[in-house]
Amino acid sequence: MNSKTLYFEDVDLGDEIGPVERIITDEQVIEFVKLREIEFESGPSRFTSKEVAISQGLTEAIVPGAMNIALMSQLLTGWAENVCLLKIDVVFRKTVPHNTTLIFNGIVTGKNDDSGNNELECDITMQLQDGVKMVIGNSVISLPNRL
Amino acid sequence: MLLDLHTHSTASDDSRASVEQYIKWIHVLRKKGNSIDGFVLTEHRQFDHDVDYSGLALENDVTILKGAELDTDTGHFLVYGVNEQITTRIDFSNVTMDAQKLVDTCLEFKAIAIPAHPGRAGIGFAHHLENGRKGFLSIKTVEELNGSNRPGEGEKAVDLIKTKGYMGTGGSDAHIVSAIGTCMTQFDIKVHNEEELVQALLNGPFKAVRMTDL
Amino acid sequence: MTTDDGIVYNRSLLGVENITGTFEVTRDMILGFARSTGETYERYIGDTNGKGDISAPPTICNIFVTGLSRPDIELEFGELSFFAGQSIECKLDIKPGDILTGRTKLDNVYSKTGRSGKMVFTVWQTSFMNQNSEIVALVNESFVTRNKNA
Repeated sequence: MNSKTLYFEDVDLGDEIGPVERIITDEQVIEFVKLREIEFESGPSRFTSKEVAISQGLTEAIVPGAMNIALMSQLLTGWAENVCLLKIDVVFRKTVPHNTTLIFNGIVTGKNDDSGNNELECDITMQLQDGVKMVIGNSVISLPNRL
Repeated sequence: MLLDLHTHSTASDDSRASVEQYIKWIHVLRKKGNSIDGFVLTEHRQFDHDVDYSGLALENDVTILKGAELDTDTGHFLVYGVNEQITTRIDFSNVTMDAQKLVDTCLEFKAIAIPAHPGRAGIGFAHHLENGRKGFLSIKTVEELNGSNRPGEGEKAVDLIKTKGYMGTGGSDAHIVSAIGTCMTQFDIKVHNEEELVQALLNGPFKAVRMTDL
Repeated sequence: MTTDDGIVYNRSLLGVENITGTFEVTRDMILGFARSTGETYERYIGDTNGKGDISAPPTICNIFVTGLSRPDIELEFGELSFFAGQSIECKLDIKPGDILTGRTKLDNVYSKTGRSGKMVFTVWQTSFMNQNSEIVALVNESFVTRNKNA
């Protein structure tokens, strides 16, 4: 992740965020699921077990939706250290596999300082290398003014 | 004239783009040298007769028309020229509606219903025809280019068009702001309203285009 | 139970608010969440020794919102449910030691068709309030139910 600082004045409509490539491993998913103790204690699930996933009609274990939105939000909070995420809104269009290259992209689609909050609207997507979009959505972030 | 014939605003349950945001983005696209004259809002399973975008359209030099995308027993259909004669006869919220009845009712009452993303697994017109669905002799046009297609789905649509001799439209199927205009339909004439759109689609000529190819 | 659109579920739950639980946000929880999702900024993971002031990553409320804490709407359709979508509006930073109370209500149930065939969507609205009665997050969630062999 970059340790850079961005200011509201420096961002224009159409500016791209990312792309960021990530691979979510089995171990990372297990660590995430452990945090939701109730779920983890109920045994293997389609998130942690390929066998359970296949029994549910899937082809492999999948990344939890809650983890996917966390990863999507990181695209934004990782853009610069001073990004403040105000809202994120996503649609899960396809299940996300473990151990597969995921490409996160964003683009600035709106800029609004009317409310005094220096808000930027951004489209965000997660896709596979073949271009299939797994998660789409938008977000509102805030950046400070250059003093 | 270039129109994106398949878009969804926040009125659709799975879209995250407002009409105002689409308009703003069209200005960004034009500033970058891209061409797009307007779009048709084809919201899922609904049609609002009362909402009026003509003021916004005029202020922004963007043509904004209204249509619908409906779920039927033969896949999804895009409907243009929706009027009250149609909405009183067809329940837009019925996800298993009779597609033949939809197509026939539209033709009877000066609208047009065309199969959306016909190559798409499960909800594509081509899939249903392959599974033995008969009828639909009045269909002359399907959606050829859809911006949300997955690998193979566009190719299947093109195969259907070639086999049946259909005409093909283009639409982004945008659910986020930046997707608008990625696929469009190019008309040789100006289209100012829904009635003219229906006539243009019934009579041709038009073709499906990608913004990146223009 | 009555239905429209052929969807059978307990419609008396529509709009009724339920408390999903009270949760303490611990430092370990924040660090675990941040680590599992690969966060690298000090504001989430602390300094190189894991010390210092930290805030929770914006989507941490997902730890507290699970299917087990929502009322069963007794939906008579489908064999599998998946997360279909979510929005999180971050109102205030969430810090170690915060005690969050979650309240949820059923907002909508509707059907549509897609690549997976017929699906039914269930939409919940959830709010999280801290120990100072301040709203820290507003969460809308959609779950899709479908048949297994779609």
